[in-house]
Amino acid sequence: MIAQQIINAVSLGGVYALLALGLAIVFSIVGLINFAHGELMTLSGYALLAALVFGLPFPAAVLVAVSCGALAAVAMERVAFRPMRGASVTSLLLTSFAVSSLLKVVFQNGISARPQAVAMPSWMTGAFSFGDFTIGVGPSISIVVSALALIALELFLRRTVTGTAMRAAAEDFNVVRLMGIPASRIIATAFLLSGLLAGLAAMLWVAQRASVDPLMGFTPVLKAFIAAVVGGLGSLPGAVAGGFLLGIIEVLLQATLPAAVAPYRDAIVLSGVIAVLLVRPQGLIPAVRVQRS
Amino acid sequence: MLSVEALKIRYGEVEAVRRVDLAVDSGEIIALVGANGAGKSSTLGAIAGLVPAVSGKVVFDGVDITGLAPEAIARKGVSLVPEGRRIFAGLTVADNLRLGGAMHLPATEARAREEEMLELFPILRRYHRVKGGNLSGGEQQMLAIARALMGKPRMVLLDEPSLGLAPQLIDTVFDLIAELRRNGLTILLVEQNVALALEIADRAIVLANGEVVLSGTAKELATSDLVRQAYLGA
Amino acid sequence: MPKLYRLHRAALYAAVFGTTVAVVSTASAEEIIIGAATAQTGGLAPYDQPALAGLRMALDELNAKGGLAGKYTVKLIIKDTRSDTAQTATVAQELIDAGAKIMITPCDADPSISAGQLTQPLGIPTLTLCGSAPVLTAAVGDVMFGTYPADNVQATAVADFAVAEGKKKVFLLTSPDSTYTANLPEYFGKVFEKKGGAVVGRGTFTMGQPDFSAEITNIKSLADQPDLIMTAAYEPDFPAFIQQLRGAGVTIPVYGADAIGTPTIKGLGKLVDGVVYTAAGYAEPGSKLEAFNAAFAKYAGHAPESTYEVNGYEIGLILDQAVKTAGSDDPKAIRDAIAGLKDFDGITGKITYAGTDRMPLRPVALMRYEGGEGKHIQTMIPDAADVPAP
Ligand SMILES: Nc1ncnc2c1ncn2[C@@H]1O[C@H](COP(=O)(O)OP(=O)(O)OP(=O)(O)O)[C@@H](O)[C@H]1O
Ligand SMILES: [Mg+2]
Repeated sequence: MIAQQIINAVSLGGVYALLALGLAIVFSIVGLINFAHGELMTLSGYALLAALVFGLPFPAAVLVAVSCGALAAVAMERVAFRPMRGASVTSLLLTSFAVSSLLKVVFQNGISARPQAVAMPSWMTGAFSFGDFTIGVGPSISIVVSALALIALELFLRRTVTGTAMRAAAEDFNVVRLMGIPASRIIATAFLLSGLLAGLAAMLWVAQRASVDPLMGFTPVLKAFIAAVVGGLGSLPGAVAGGFLLGIIEVLLQATLPAAVAPYRDAIVLSGVIAVLLVRPQGLIPAVRVQRS
Repeated sequence: MLSVEALKIRYGEVEAVRRVDLAVDSGEIIALVGANGAGKSSTLGAIAGLVPAVSGKVVFDGVDITGLAPEAIARKGVSLVPEGRRIFAGLTVADNLRLGGAMHLPATEARAREEEMLELFPILRRYHRVKGGNLSGGEQQMLAIARALMGKPRMVLLDEPSLGLAPQLIDTVFDLIAELRRNGLTILLVEQNVALALEIADRAIVLANGEVVLSGTAKELATSDLVRQAYLGA
Repeated sequence: MPKLYRLHRAALYAAVFGTTVAVVSTASAEEIIIGAATAQTGGLAPYDQPALAGLRMALDELNAKGGLAGKYTVKLIIKDTRSDTAQTATVAQELIDAGAKIMITPCDADPSISAGQLTQPLGIPTLTLCGSAPVLTAAVGDVMFGTYPADNVQATAVADFAVAEGKKKVFLLTSPDSTYTANLPEYFGKVFEKKGGAVVGRGTFTMGQPDFSAEITNIKSLADQPDLIMTAAYEPDFPAFIQQLRGAGVTIPVYGADAIGTPTIKGLGKLVDGVVYTAAGYAEPGSKLEAFNAAFAKYAGHAPESTYEVNGYEIGLILDQAVKTAGSDDPKAIRDAIAGLKDFDGITGKITYAGTDRMPLRPVALMRYEGGEGKHIQTMIPDAADVPAP
């Protein structure tokens, strides 16, 4: 029972970590909290559905869907945020809200207000058992995929020049440019990565929910935002820590709160977040930052 | 090699640089000196593309580079070592260096160049895997210079390399600058320590309130009354 | 193509600017305005839209024959509530100001109550499209009418069936976020216990909650394992719950009610095999409902998604009958006529308001998903004595 709930917490926390990372990467480079991040997920979800409807095999459909998320993120930067480069944080934030609302309306009117069922392959239901301990296929997939994604991202950021440049840009964007590294490449990569993470998170999200709907992105982006703030805005390790912490708290409360106080669960989670921020205003693992573009 | 003509810079209402003209010939060290707030860093920033100029012209190697993005100017071979070092504190010394060369040299050449830098700055070899933020001020200054040199620039802009360093370290840094020049590098040096700057420079320019008030060979300036009274404390 | 494009654009503008889409607007001496405060966007839209489509079809047909009772041409004004309770009150007020004599409200109790609080003092009869919470009518007052089989009636039908199947132990999954999700499983529990079953556990969720794993682990670790899970969760929560339940290796059957009788849930395919739900009727060959479905497909260009369409259509018929009985377009007279309706011949069967708390007595169809299709089990009107009080 306790082991089960730990697995649940890790599984949920992993998805939150991917989401929070997606927000944090962009924030660390351009100082923008991209509230349209959730709509990137929605878009990936619809892309998965479309690919499956077109008869693509499941792995290929997932590949298409994740790529769509990544490309959409880059396109979003090009169309919506690049013209705003150098604008104030508030205008960037409002732009991201506008993009988010616009996409929701487009999904609602262009596709349907109704959730669309995404039939997951049947191997995604069922469970592995070790003795009298069982672990569901669903949570296992979430844990494995999040772990692989976190490792791949870490390797990218540590081992490649572009990754190193991104970490540097999070500290001091202008000096990275003084090294001859183009600003647009760094920013595009940040959006590409955030789109990839959104796409991956969307796959896990949809795999757990079996449907996509126009408003699907709202809850995850909110959770990601909370996780990123708790972890320390703009700090990548912070985002991961915040994501796992949020997952653990939510599962813990869901598992233990008596039904009578269950409606207050979200309020309790948020109070916990505020408490963390009172003790550590910069978050769990604050970002190192000199200045941004 | 580099010429700046009628440069004007404004931050909002504040006119930081009213008019600066200067020219640097290949292989020279030119010192740019002046009081705090005279507009020295702003001038370097405008050359490197970090600060937009209101008017004026920056020409490097016969090409007008005014208004180009900093990354484009860097790739033409002009490298700025910014004021306050601004090394990447969260990155290792090795990564700091690697970024310096990443856009300028192919991988194998970059490795060879890194080796040269480690020869030139032995202290960096010792701290190769240490995060930049953990180095002392002087070590960080070495790192900042080495990082700027990684891309084999043809000209470096040094903004107060002696700032905050102990006297002994200042000497080391200046010896190094002299050696770089001997190897053919062109240097535009901004310094508060006017005496030291004049010792090492070929020519010097004095800025006050965003304007050039005096210029000439380093020797001429070292003996001028204005410089002696205002900057050399004589 | 260009026409389609314009249509989409119009819908887009409507959604963005909340503009009014007036459907029927032939001015005539005897015009009656019906206000529809319904969700065109948001979580309730998938329910309100099909129901509204059925109502529009009925009103179009009636207008072609001269209007309600053959003489009051209907002008239907639709405003988007965005699935928001406060917004519902705002648009309901706008509709009242526009002269609505009859009000149509969303498929949920809470926004319907908020609109009803405005229409009650004015005596404007108010009908929810498919809101089925039996507390709804008492919460507002005598102008408020349900139209769909009430939650307690549906729950009784499902419980009767579960008991007949031999189910003994149920786990109830509720959400306090809406009257429907909070109460329907509890009604089920009451009937189930009265008929010898036991409620072995309860769990809750928040609507829109991404993760059900903790709840599912609680179910798995119950000492007394249930042989049935009853919930009123609907999309997108129901797909999430059942996907995660099956993903955790739990095979206990899950039953629900009318809100999971949608194409989305059907589209889940094998995942929902064996799930029992309810509908307002079932189109047996030769039935009126089958004829309606064909007519609707012609009218709308697509087959009905559920029985919300026919329910909406029946609202039109009920209003027509009520105006006939009232003999006028006076809201109070119309209200009295609806309240007195007895054995009215609808499309799905007989509908009675007389003697009820303005939640209609009408048949409930029990359905089960099998191989991606909704199969009819039986249609029944539960014994009134078994139906738990709201
Ligand atoms: N980003 C900025 N925004 C507004 N004003 C600025 C900015 N940067 C510099 N200034 C102003 O422009 C003027 C010149 O600054 P600059 O940094 O070029 O001087 P400096 O000669 O390098 O001084 P120091 O020796 O102190 O480094 C100063 O008055 C300074 O306050
Ligand atoms: Mg300066």
